[in-house]
Amino acid sequence: MAPAYAQSSRAASALIGACLIAACGAPAPEQSAAGTTRTNCGIDVTVDAPPERLYAAYQPGIEVAHALGLGDRLVGTAFLDAEVLAEYADEQARADYVPSLPSREGLLATRPDFVLSGYNNIFAENSGDSSVGTRASLHELGVQTWILSPLCPSEDGLTDRAIDPASVTVDGVYHDLRGLGALFGAEDAAEHVISDMRERIATVEAQVDGAERPTVAIVSPGEDGGYRVASGIDFGTRIIERAGGVNAFADLTGQRNLDVGAEELVERDPDVILTDLCCGADLTRADARSEVRAIMSDPALAGVTAVAEGEVHPFLFADRAAGVRAAHSIELVASRLHPDLVGQ
Amino acid sequence: MAGSTTAARSGPAAGPIPRSGNGGSLFTGGIGRTAGLVLACLLLAAASALSVLVGNYDLSVADALSALASPGGGDADRVVWHVRVPRTATGVLAGMGLGAAGAVMQGLTRNPLAGPGILGVNAGGAFAVVSAMAFLQVSSLAGHLWSAFAGAALAAVFVYALGSLGGGASPVKLALAGAAFSAMVGSATTAITLLDPSVLNDFRFWTVGSLTRSGSGDLAVAAPAVLAGVGLAVLIGRDLNAVALGEDMARSLGTRALAARALGAVSVVLPAGAATAIAGPIGFVGLVVPHMARALTGPDYRWIVPWCVLLAPTVLLLADVLGRVLIRPEQLQVGIVTGLIGAPFFIHLVRTRKAARL
Repeated sequence: MAPAYAQSSRAASALIGACLIAACGAPAPEQSAAGTTRTNCGIDVTVDAPPERLYAAYQPGIEVAHALGLGDRLVGTAFLDAEVLAEYADEQARADYVPSLPSREGLLATRPDFVLSGYNNIFAENSGDSSVGTRASLHELGVQTWILSPLCPSEDGLTDRAIDPASVTVDGVYHDLRGLGALFGAEDAAEHVISDMRERIATVEAQVDGAERPTVAIVSPGEDGGYRVASGIDFGTRIIERAGGVNAFADLTGQRNLDVGAEELVERDPDVILTDLCCGADLTRADARSEVRAIMSDPALAGVTAVAEGEVHPFLFADRAAGVRAAHSIELVASRLHPDLVGQ
Repeated sequence: MAGSTTAARSGPAAGPIPRSGNGGSLFTGGIGRTAGLVLACLLLAAASALSVLVGNYDLSVADALSALASPGGGDADRVVWHVRVPRTATGVLAGMGLGAAGAVMQGLTRNPLAGPGILGVNAGGAFAVVSAMAFLQVSSLAGHLWSAFAGAALAAVFVYALGSLGGGASPVKLALAGAAFSAMVGSATTAITLLDPSVLNDFRFWTVGSLTRSGSGDLAVAAPAVLAGVGLAVLIGRDLNAVALGEDMARSLGTRALAARALGAVSVVLPAGAATAIAGPIGFVGLVVPHMARALTGPDYRWIVPWCVLLAPTVLLLADVLGRVLIRPEQLQVGIVTGLIGAPFFIHLVRTRKAARL
């Protein structure tokens, strides 16, 4: 589609409105007759031709874009939780980047024809500054959207509290890669990434098969003395499972991240703790040592198995994301849970 | 506001006790009031016991007692000594500070809507702490404490000045000034936290108070400030009574108005600032508890202040216990719970004509 609209979003919507009434006579590229449709989170996403102006939000969205080789179509990227994977560093260095989410106007000013987001809150209703509007409201402007499906809310405009646990799967990531590949005309790249991930994850699964499964908690210490942990509907649970462990908080599925006290960690007594450092485009796993120290030095946690046995490992919020990083993360976690079975 | 009606009703013989009537207060007369204070002590002890007993980690009374009596090395002992006891002690100290500050503020300003939360003192303290952390890299608790004192003092002065513009600080004007100031520094605090998303989690504490942050080291630093402020607040009860009679009456009774106000200001800023430094900004406790105390013991500040000092930590600890069980296994910060409970009461106060005049 031809993004003929101007800078201000008001002008943009007016133009789009006019355009719609006039049946949008923009010069249509070749495949316009059929178009390509893929379903994402129960919403049909249709493009007449491969989108040319992609806006990628959040770590998983940005990394998926690079994995599919769409770096040269990026009109903007926002909100990295950590350094991007080494293989995407050069491409990302060339992309426009802002550390926090754009406003709706800021987003539209980049004239995107497609927005790919790693998390659902960017399309939340009533969440003010951290939202660019619902997906439906962007589709009305001719901007197609995609949320990585392990983060699918049950309805457009909702957030983490409305995630169906059944949708939080590694296969969901493959489905996303395949769907995006089809929409962007990058099927080969998608299949390549998928088979690479499948192979790496299968290798880990074979290595840890039959081994005892330790309980694992993904934990971030807060300034208020509490801790934030990843729940059963967070993709981290799947990463832990594939790596041969069990999320100690898997039974809690109310929302992705939970604020619990030190007591709850003592009560659940995880065998291994992974930290959860976030957010910044230059964060690395080495930075997460600060969280390791904070957890190891909390006197209340001294009796927790993971702390007593020195099994608190640096890990990043970015590492538990649903995206192309999953294979890396599963290898990393497996090497921590089963160092005798899985090499670094 | 003139306050002449209260002065006229109290009569000269009564000494500096405003309003002769007891207004249906429960604990009156020397013995009744002393018994009441003993009861308040027991209530505080009960709330403290509950705070040590209730939490996500299952702990029987016997476990708790043995952990308290002879700490060994088990999880139960660690939970008691490193989670429940510091949390309870934080609640006791912060509650005492907020209660005393609230009583003194209501007395000094003769304003039933006064309180360290409503008048922006807590928000000012938290803002100063966050600013010091962000711009001056202050991270020690002593640093937080001094920042909180400075912020609380500046907030008190600013809000009082703002509320007094255009002739006299009426209760609602002062509350409005406090609300405006809280909103202003609250958004400034949020703005600072948003500048650096990586520390957002760290700063959340300074926008919603919680009892889980401070360890015994922090409490040891803050306790002297709280206790000094609370002690001073108890001592100036007589002066607060005189202030309640109005300027003229206070002068004729020989109350050193300026000195009383200065001491009063210290006994607001010291405990409220210290409470904010260890527990973050907590609203409504300092506002609501003095009204409870007044209902129980009558209008005499020599009794209201001690009641507040005992009742406020009781209320705060119960709110915190509620926050632990409401959405178990997650927890609600105590600042959220006090907001949920306190806001309707505040609305009630604003709408009640009688309470709108002290």
